[in-house]
Amino acid sequence: MSPLLIVEDSDEDYEVLCWALHKTGFTHPIIRAACAEEALSRLFPGLPQLGGIDESPCMVLLDFNLPGINGLQMLKEIRQTKPLLAIPIVVMSTSNNPLDVEACYRFGAAGYILKPFKLEEYLEKIRGLEDYWFNTALLPECAGGGD
Amino acid sequence: MPEAPIPSTATNREAILVTANNVDLSSCDREQVHLVGAIQPHGALLVLQEPALRIVQASTNTADFLGIPCEQLVGQCLDGLLGDENSAAMRVQLLEKKLTGVLSHLISVPCPLHREGVLHISGNRIDGLLLLEFERTTSTVEMNHAYGYCSRLQDTIQQLYGGTGLLSFLSVAVEQIRILTGFERVMVYRFDRKGSGEVIVEAKDAALEAYLGLHYPASDVPEPARRLFALSPLRHLPNVDYVPVSLFPELSPLADGHPVDLSHSFLRSVSEMYTGYLRNMGVKATLVMPLLKSGTLWGLISCMHHSEPKYLSYEQRFPIELLSRMISLRIGDLENLDNYAYRTRLDQVHNQLISVMGRADTHHEALFGQHINLLNGIDADGAALLEGGKVTLMGITPSEHQVGLLVEWLAQQEADVLATHGLPNDCPAAEDFSEVASGLLAIRVSRTSATWVMWFRAEVLSETHWAGDPNKPVIIDRDGQASRLQPRTSFALWTEAVRGHSQPWQDCEIDYANKLRLSLQDILVERVFQLMRLNTELEFSNQALSSFVYAASHDLKEPLRGIHNYTELLQQEEEGHLSGQGQQWLGTILYLTERMHHFLEALHQYSHIGHTDLDLLTCPINSLVEDIVDMLKKANPDDCITIDIQPAMPIMLCNPTSVKIIFQNLIINAIKYNREAVKTIKIGCHTTNGIAVFFVQDNGIGILPEFYEYIFQPFKRLHGQKEFGGGTGVGLAITHKAVTRQGGRIWVESALGKGSTFYFTLTPERADETG
Repeated sequence: MSPLLIVEDSDEDYEVLCWALHKTGFTHPIIRAACAEEALSRLFPGLPQLGGIDESPCMVLLDFNLPGINGLQMLKEIRQTKPLLAIPIVVMSTSNNPLDVEACYRFGAAGYILKPFKLEEYLEKIRGLEDYWFNTALLPECAGGGD
Repeated sequence: MPEAPIPSTATNREAILVTANNVDLSSCDREQVHLVGAIQPHGALLVLQEPALRIVQASTNTADFLGIPCEQLVGQCLDGLLGDENSAAMRVQLLEKKLTGVLSHLISVPCPLHREGVLHISGNRIDGLLLLEFERTTSTVEMNHAYGYCSRLQDTIQQLYGGTGLLSFLSVAVEQIRILTGFERVMVYRFDRKGSGEVIVEAKDAALEAYLGLHYPASDVPEPARRLFALSPLRHLPNVDYVPVSLFPELSPLADGHPVDLSHSFLRSVSEMYTGYLRNMGVKATLVMPLLKSGTLWGLISCMHHSEPKYLSYEQRFPIELLSRMISLRIGDLENLDNYAYRTRLDQVHNQLISVMGRADTHHEALFGQHINLLNGIDADGAALLEGGKVTLMGITPSEHQVGLLVEWLAQQEADVLATHGLPNDCPAAEDFSEVASGLLAIRVSRTSATWVMWFRAEVLSETHWAGDPNKPVIIDRDGQASRLQPRTSFALWTEAVRGHSQPWQDCEIDYANKLRLSLQDILVERVFQLMRLNTELEFSNQALSSFVYAASHDLKEPLRGIHNYTELLQQEEEGHLSGQGQQWLGTILYLTERMHHFLEALHQYSHIGHTDLDLLTCPINSLVEDIVDMLKKANPDDCITIDIQPAMPIMLCNPTSVKIIFQNLIINAIKYNREAVKTIKIGCHTTNGIAVFFVQDNGIGILPEFYEYIFQPFKRLHGQKEFGGGTGVGLAITHKAVTRQGGRIWVESALGKGSTFYFTLTPERADETG
């Protein structure tokens, strides 16, 4: 199974997200990048693989507020790299600013989820995410593997 | 006394009384005194053509002075008349002296008709002609008398040094001139700003009636006469009943057929009006010298002889002329000296006011202090400041409203410094308050903001003693074909009660006011620069603060969410390990983190409004409001809400996000703060002064008037945390910010228990229409 790449700088957020994913029975392997730079190096072919997982991710969950290159800039980078366009990227953010939402979609985000404050809502959103992307939709098999 | 007066009063023929107001006195002013073409008989005149010195005109009395009749002289050259030696001396003088506009003594030669006598020849040039005047001193006795005179002058000057102020100086001067000349009356006559004059010092024979303190209307010394006085250092009329001596030929052959211009001529015949005037006053001879201050006519030294004609010879006149020039030179200094202490005091006050002004925030604060204020030092009864449409008064002044009227009048004046001691006369609106403000000294500090500083002087009911009725200075006699001015015959004391006048403002007071104006302007300019600097700094720090709040409110949400998440995890995953109390405390932590989350959310939203650019789009307000209402109705499905939206609200150029926030917050509040079974909300718009005013009206709980402003401040709530569904208290603050950011205004009208109506505009109103 292709892994899910989570780009999240906050350890706590990452832990809660993983907790929610397991709680809802998510079975795909999960790899984490703590910053955009790390995520990009994983996604770009030809760069040394990190974390011991050879396969390209089938999907990316991207935190919007990241140190250094932020989520939006990362989307822009990916947009310029044709093979990577195939990987759906869902942005997770605390910002409900319509401008932020619009910008993410414009730069190729496949979805935009507001990080909820309550755990219950969190679980509900993760369940919905899984339902759609992993049970309903079909994800690309081997994205990032070159032309 | 004046020359060429415009005389007045009764004649027994059919006469029309005219006053300065209903006759064009300029016709009299235009009387061309200098072109009369005749001279007085105490000398002879020759008009010559240079360089040949050929005589082209001669007075008809040359036989009396030169022994040759005028007819024989015309056409001759001067050389033949004076002899070689004298004419050579004369030519040297003519080469050396410019003689333009100034009569100057050239040479003295033996008198051809009196063995011991001397002939004095003076000359001046005008219109390319040389005018020579001949006067004689007939005997050595007369000459010795004149020399004695010069030695007396020494004593006179000694006396003059004793004078301490202007008036005492002039008193000594007139007394000395009386002694020197033997004139029965010598006085100084001073002109005021409007040309009328007053006798300020007088020396006279005891038997004569005093003229001291009398005023003479401006028309007594009309403009042409004043001009001539300023030109000639001395005018002499030895005999008021003289027979004028004409010239031969009458018209100048070389001056385009005009009479030769005798402006600068000492012998020039005077106006009949003047001699008539003097005769009516009982004067037989006069000697008049101008007093000039900084080149302008300040007054006259006027000598009169009442008992008989009186002639002063050239030798006698000369020292008197010098004396009068010396007096002129001292006037300015002495006037300043009189005011020295006052001037110094005003300077001090100026410096004090300016130093306070430097520290004070407003003109008002600086100029109306308890110890240092506008009324310090200056001799005024009241003061006022008009700034920003606001009037501040001090001392005895007109009312605020009256000062307002005054300012309307001031605004029409060109001058930045205005001084009047007859305000009701200048500004008709001031008649109503002439008692407190007949005198006004005003300075315009700023044209753009119409800032004025004013001092007032109360009315002084005084009496002016006129030499004859000043309201009837002129009589036009219509007896003949042409109107003819008659010299006035009455100089009887005419006392006028003067109303609408204050003590006049002195030069040093006007100087002080102007100095204060310039200093205040300097400070104002400095303030503007300071303010600009502060504004830039403030804007910068405001922006920094707003950015900080925006970022902080967002960043604080992150860890808070973490705390909340982990507390929930604890509650869910470790449920079995916690006591009931522990579970309850976790519940409280969750409740508090949630509340904090709402606050941060609200703060973030509030700062967000000031943080984003405002894109203006054309939005139909109706569809925007309908969207919000639909959404809110769905969010509150249990409430019975009637929302009435006015069908045709305008399409506005505005920022739709902001307008949405405004309507949303107002409608949410209308639903929230409402206990009625049926919550009725009306949304609409009306136009006031061409500006769309939107409103959201409810039948809710209402707001007390004292909270009308309070509710728009951030984090201000009128109700407890648990009432009306709680809330952060930022909703109306956000609304307020969203409105004002678009240049609009928001306000509320409410009745407790009946409901509230919130009004707002989305465009700037004109300044004069805002409350």
